[in-house]
Amino acid sequence: MGAHLVRRYITETDTEPDPSRKVEIDPQFGFPERKEREMIATQEQMNLAQVPLQQRDYCAHHLLKLMKCKRDNWPNFLACKHERHDWDYCEHQDYVMRMKEYERERRLQLRKKRIEAEAA
Amino acid sequence: MRTCHPVRPQRPVNMAGVAFRRLAQTFCKGKTPGVSAFLPACRAASGASKGPVLGPCPETLEEKAAAAKKYNLTLSDYEAYPDKGEGYGDYPKLPDRSQHERDPWYKWDHPDLRRNWGEPMHWDFDMYIRNRVDTSPTPVPWSTMCKQLFGFIGFMLFMFYVGEKFQSYQPVGPKQYPYNDLFLEKGGDPDKEPEEIKHYEI
Repeated sequence: MGAHLVRRYITETDTEPDPSRKVEIDPQFGFPERKEREMIATQEQMNLAQVPLQQRDYCAHHLLKLMKCKRDNWPNFLACKHERHDWDYCEHQDYVMRMKEYERERRLQLRKKRIEAEAA
Repeated sequence: MRTCHPVRPQRPVNMAGVAFRRLAQTFCKGKTPGVSAFLPACRAASGASKGPVLGPCPETLEEKAAAAKKYNLTLSDYEAYPDKGEGYGDYPKLPDRSQHERDPWYKWDHPDLRRNWGEPMHWDFDMYIRNRVDTSPTPVPWSTMCKQLFGFIGFMLFMFYVGEKFQSYQPVGPKQYPYNDLFLEKGGDPDKEPEEIKHYEI
């Protein structure tokens, strides 16, 4: 916990990713074939369902199913356990992907610095 | 006191007061004792009575002794306000202590005000009654309170500054959104071609 903050501000200030700065890294670098993320819910569906902008992510189709189930089962708030889990799991995977992206950027920065040091 | 004499006729008064006084005088001039007995006094009720009128600021010891006697004080307790034309006259300058400091267990004549009958009254007595200004000693000195308060505020401001300079965040990349990071939903121009943003699984 907080190791990335120590690296960012104290030990590895030059290579630790800065969330306020966007670093251009080729997304395909190091992958033989990288699959693009697939969005299932359409813009029209999300507009009709009035989904908040923060929730219009790649898990929105699970959210639409969950909200529909909640609506159909009202007032049984104990229903929709499965739909809830599907959506939570999708969001969890989304977060893990963000963690991996962060770690990828960090390691690529370290690699870049190492190569530059070897070249010099 | 129940004689009918006009009080300070040279003072400008409103016409309604004049009319009332004339009416009262006509009543008082009548020989019937019943009418004047019903009227409590023919003096205008708006003026001050003779008792509370302030004398001039006392200069000599005799004047001071007379003023102290007038206000039910001993000469050692009497101290006049400095004569700076503020209209205090010979009113005694009493210590600025609130009524809250006084003994709550003593049998005061007026327990709510903690005041005895005939006791000299502070010029700003209404300011020092029990639910207003309280001059009782504080648990810690004023300087200590200031130090603690401004020390705490300063420390908090410093820590907010530090938190602003060295922000804390989770070690994750930015959240990814579809449709070119919700270009249309965030108010983008529909006629313009948005910058294409692709997200990949990892």
